Amino acid sequence: MAARLFVRRRDGRIEVRLNDAARLLAREAFGHVLAAESDPEHDWHASLNGPIDPSHDVDDPLATLSRQHEVTSNVELAVATLHEEFLNDAEAWAWLCTLQIALRATITTKGLMTTQRLDDADEVTREYIKTLQAFLFALADVM
Amino acid sequence: MASVKPLRVSDQTQLESITATMTERPWNVVVWDDPVTPMPVVVVIFRKIFGYPNNKATHLMLTVHHEGRAIVWSGPLERAQNYCVKLQVAGLLSTIEQDS
Repeated sequence: MAARLFVRRRDGRIEVRLNDAARLLAREAFGHVLAAESDPEHDWHASLNGPIDPSHDVDDPLATLSRQHEVTSNVELAVATLHEEFLNDAEAWAWLCTLQIALRATITTKGLMTTQRLDDADEVTREYIKTLQAFLFALADVM
Repeated sequence: MASVKPLRVSDQTQLESITATMTERPWNVVVWDDPVTPMPVVVVIFRKIFGYPNNKATHLMLTVHHEGRAIVWSGPLERAQNYCVKLQVAGLLSTIEQDS
């Protein structure tokens, strides 16, 4: 039976059981999201700034500003708690959102939006995606 | 220079009616499928953002999975935009559209 990566404790906190390698991978994912949010040249930037209302050329600036603010808040909280042994619900939510953004940005950037294309992706990319999915499955299980 | 004929009362009434209908039509928040997002993650996000019970969140997640998209909320534009932003912040592929 696979070890559980996150465990909900009786006091309500979520224990993080990631090893050093897993935390390193999470740090890289968080770092990419943080960089992509502020750098228009980053590969993931477009993925983080998808249309809200595709029938209009430009989205409501207040809505896009709100999105930018919330993404940044989440990723900063995720980075700040990267080495914590326990997370509260708000911190776990920030992790989940940021990891999910990293997962979707990865497939969007690499053009892997269908199952067939995903199956044809290189081994390193598929392993990266599977690892992020494992983190997300485990987090969702305790939320 | 093109001349502009003034609108007749009947035209104005019709225009007002169309405008009112467009304004009143609700806005849908749509979530689109992708091949990688774990199903339990989508359920957690729907529960957290909309406060939906587990069975409704699961039903909507399965609709997204099987039909490629699902309308997860309908209502006024501002709230639809707000929900769409929250779903995007949570990493889901979401857009809004006015109900047809």
